[in-house]
Amino acid sequence: MMIPFFAQIRRDLAIAWQHRQDLAVMLVFFVIIIALFPLAIGPRQAVLTELGVPIIWIAALLAILAGFDRLFAQDVRDGWLDQVSLSQLGLGWYALAKAVSHWLTAGLPLLVMTPIMAALLDIPMAQLPVLITALLVGSLALTLLGVIGAALAEGARHAGALLALLVLPLAVPILIFGVLASNHDSGIVSPHLMLLGAVLAVLLAIAPLVAASALGTGETETGL
Amino acid sequence: MFDYLANPSRFMRLANRFLPALVVLAVTTGAVGLYQGLVTSPPDYQQGDTVRIIYIHVPAAWLALFGYVGLGICGIFYIVWRHPLADVAARAIAPVGAVFALLTLITGSLWGKPMWGAWWVWDARLTSMLILFFFYLGYMALANGFDRPERGSRPAALLALVGLINVPIVKFSVDWWNTLHQPASLLRSGGPAVDPTMLTPLVLMLIAAHAYFAIIVIYRMRALLGERRLTAMLLRPRGHA
Repeated sequence: MMIPFFAQIRRDLAIAWQHRQDLAVMLVFFVIIIALFPLAIGPRQAVLTELGVPIIWIAALLAILAGFDRLFAQDVRDGWLDQVSLSQLGLGWYALAKAVSHWLTAGLPLLVMTPIMAALLDIPMAQLPVLITALLVGSLALTLLGVIGAALAEGARHAGALLALLVLPLAVPILIFGVLASNHDSGIVSPHLMLLGAVLAVLLAIAPLVAASALGTGETETGL
Repeated sequence: MFDYLANPSRFMRLANRFLPALVVLAVTTGAVGLYQGLVTSPPDYQQGDTVRIIYIHVPAAWLALFGYVGLGICGIFYIVWRHPLADVAARAIAPVGAVFALLTLITGSLWGKPMWGAWWVWDARLTSMLILFFFYLGYMALANGFDRPERGSRPAALLALVGLINVPIVKFSVDWWNTLHQPASLLRSGGPAVDPTMLTPLVLMLIAAHAYFAIIVIYRMRALLGERRLTAMLLRPRGHA
């Protein structure tokens, strides 16, 4: 089971490396969203310091979800998905592998960029470990939510806009707990971080099941 | 029982038999409830006549939640037993629930302007109702987002299941967020307990609203089933004419 699982991840990473320009586009998107906020608010340092953490969270949320509308499209078109559903890997593990490789190519670079963005927004250095830990858990949870959304919206018209409409309301708990956990000022582990972890655990349990169920018999499904 | 009702025309015959009783129930309780609520019940000692909006507001909020649970139950029936009517019922419920959620938000903000001095307050209850409204919109967009309509049934049912798990988490997180940010004392609605003179019309209106909900859903299911039958007839190859 583990060998095809890692093979799937390696394959997706190799494809992502071939299209590494897309990765750069995503990172620039993240930076631009963050840069737009000071332009809209005005260069008032006090306001920016206070809003810094929420701005980073909103930008991370949008940047991570922006990459999801094409997650399964290529695999559906070239028949890879059919092969997977017949193989010993199974669609659940396949969806989980997709989540891992997507997080490695979208979530992880954002985390690496975050200290620079925090400096731009004048977030104190002492807050960085808390912010990065919360973003780590939050980006994993967002990725799993995105996998659910991408699997549900696969094959739909305007899949991108539909995905945002499906996922953003359900991402509210991640945003709330994430921002609260990032603003915690005594130690890294806060109740909010634990709640964020609980959301991640729930999503880890349901995302592969839901994605497998949505991808599995979707096309042959006949209505009434 | 479920197998028996899997036949759509059999289900519709049964539903049509209930329909007149539901109409009578909705009209009578609605008429008495509205009359009592708007005319005979006393104005609130603090809120004055604005309190009368609760006779619309509370039933609408109940039904918005009722419809959301209904979507989840239909989702389970569709995924587990592949019950064909569950999909029709869910598609019939979703817009009705969305309208009730919107109605809750509108009546709430109409009441909020004179009472709180603002059309909208980022209170936990308002926010979670708003997100529930978005959830309904997402459900409808997904169910109707495919070129072949029936292709949307399974993703929509799965979304309803995910929502059944996630929307309570949303509610909880929003409560948590709000209690940390603003004191709840500002947002206490009416008095502590509801007087019988107000409770009677409220209960009557709740009954009327539920009966109304059932009537609309049955009508919508009837229309959806008819639509599918029409499509099937149009797709059927023609014999020698």
